[in-house]
Amino acid sequence: MTPDPGEDSSVKVRIGGRELSMALTEEQKLRVKALTNTVLHEPFTARPWKELAFFLLGSGLAGVGLAFVAFTMGAGVVLAITVVGLAILALSLRSARGIGALQRSLARNMLGEEVEDPEPFLGRPGFFGWLGSRLRDRVAWRSVAYLALKVPWSILGVFVAFSLWWDAFVLLTLPLFGHGGGGSPVWGLVSAFFPAHDFNGFNSGGFTRDLAGFVLGAIFFFAAPWVMRGFVNVDRQMIRSLLGPDPMATRVRSLEQARTQTVDASAATLRRIERDLHDGTQAQLVALAMRLGMAKEKLEVDPDHVDLERIRELIDAAHRGAKEAIAELRDIARGIHPPALDIGLEGALATLAARSAVPTELSVTMQARPTPAIEAIAYFCVAELLANVAQHAQASRASVFCTQQGTWLRLVVRDDGTGGAQLTTVGSSSSGLAGLADRVHAVDGQLYLVSPPGGPTVVTVDLPLAT
Amino acid sequence: MVGALRIAIAEDSAILRDGLVQLLVDRGFVITGAVGDPAALRSSVSQNPPDVAVIDIRMPPTFTDEGLRLALDLRSRHEGLGILLFSQYIETRYAADLLADDAAGIGYLLKDRVADVSDFVEALERVAVGGTALDPEVVTQLLGATRRIDSLSVLTMREREVLGLMAEGRSNAAIANALVVSEGAVEKHVANIFAKLDLPVSEKDHRRVLAVLRFLES
Repeated sequence: MTPDPGEDSSVKVRIGGRELSMALTEEQKLRVKALTNTVLHEPFTARPWKELAFFLLGSGLAGVGLAFVAFTMGAGVVLAITVVGLAILALSLRSARGIGALQRSLARNMLGEEVEDPEPFLGRPGFFGWLGSRLRDRVAWRSVAYLALKVPWSILGVFVAFSLWWDAFVLLTLPLFGHGGGGSPVWGLVSAFFPAHDFNGFNSGGFTRDLAGFVLGAIFFFAAPWVMRGFVNVDRQMIRSLLGPDPMATRVRSLEQARTQTVDASAATLRRIERDLHDGTQAQLVALAMRLGMAKEKLEVDPDHVDLERIRELIDAAHRGAKEAIAELRDIARGIHPPALDIGLEGALATLAARSAVPTELSVTMQARPTPAIEAIAYFCVAELLANVAQHAQASRASVFCTQQGTWLRLVVRDDGTGGAQLTTVGSSSSGLAGLADRVHAVDGQLYLVSPPGGPTVVTVDLPLAT
Repeated sequence: MVGALRIAIAEDSAILRDGLVQLLVDRGFVITGAVGDPAALRSSVSQNPPDVAVIDIRMPPTFTDEGLRLALDLRSRHEGLGILLFSQYIETRYAADLLADDAAGIGYLLKDRVADVSDFVEALERVAVGGTALDPEVVTQLLGATRRIDSLSVLTMREREVLGLMAEGRSNAAIANALVVSEGAVEKHVANIFAKLDLPVSEKDHRRVLAVLRFLES
């Protein structure tokens, strides 16, 4: 609605016979209008009624649930010296978990409150394992806590918010039916202020009284949804914090995920090392042994016709193979733990930059030394990224920046190549950049890739200085 | 032997492949094909059939058991083709898969064995004529894994040695040679072993291998 420009831009409020005039800006006027609109429409929307229904239903359920849990727990505690008592206690907690789930689905279906299910129950094997797990089930105990808080809150809510609705109903329908006030305490007050005077059977005070009651009823009617909502919102908060996933458990879960990633990553590393040994050193050594075996046979067969030339060739090849095997073994050992890291990240990165096939500029500004694990990850990131640059980027220059930003180490590897790099994952095992990203995530770090087609490619890796 | 033996090689490591070709040519074998992956060997074998295919177990694309599957496939397509599997590890289960129905013309050796050229060539020749060549490591694993420890304890030390060599697929003559005893003595040991372990007596060397393996696996 657009305000009429001819309208008086002040609102007159009459309080205690004095007229207050307040100048309002257009914006404020709009806001007042919108607010009035909302208040007047609210009781005629579905939401307050759903909230009322939820509150009454949830409260009833909580009351019955708490009574049941309290009774069974009491019985369990009394009998706790026997296994039967503990079993009753466990079953009581089991039902508390169920009631919690019921409350959650009630909130989900009636309020649209999406609370994630808490961690599922994991019983240890055997009866006593089950018993122990049940008695230590945090989800169940939090459900019990919810019920214990919810019930008094519900009682208060029924007294305050629900009786507002009830009073509104009674007061508004009074003129229609002329009933006695239906036990509403507010009606008692109204009656006290506007006492009825009977003149020959004509109820003269009745009209003022009924009018006052009606106005009060109307105020209650429009106020009730908001008071109810206040109670429901507190309940929502309780549901979220007590019936949802335990923050501790959520953290544990995310740590478990990180651990799985780390375990997978180290398994992948071991597989890579095995592959390198199998394809490289082992094959070299077999070939070496084979050549020496051939040479030996040639020496053994016929002493008079020893083919010295051929033997020399074989030993020559074996000698070359042995040297290649040594070099390969050194590379593999460096892949497991780069010895250059022992002198520090800067030195190790300098070696990497110098060895890179693409001319690489290096800049390292670090005040503190990261933990060895972080240094190793940083080193392998740079090694892998520079190898990628050499293999795929068709770049003429690359640069590596390593800086400390607070408690973080930031690596930026940049090249002027063709770009188009992607964080792809091949099958179930991640490869290349995706593998690096996994490794970085495992220590709560981040890897960002910017590589538009045509380049340049910039990979930024943030690692915490300490894990 | 009638003519030179024809050998096809599938080995993805170029160093080893070249070394093998060199070694076999040196020994007078004919190389019908030396390739680096299963598909190439398949076409090489159908175009230019060899007597024996020497196959690396770990090959592209997945580097797991490509060679083994290739071997089983070639066996079903080309009757009488000898297969020598060649690997840096011995997996007893691979041996079991390979020998599932027949041990004739099957070999399974560690790559290290090429260092002893004569032994390797002998194994290759055995496979070519329908014999069996199992790596001593396979036999050791089978002997170690067997639940028939009690039955084996009735054998003398010498008989156990003979049992091992027999399981590798060696003939009586080769066993006699290896143990530096007469062939007659070996025959006596073999007869004793079969009697003590209650094995069916078989004429052919590879049947003998199967009998021993079945005994060890059961």
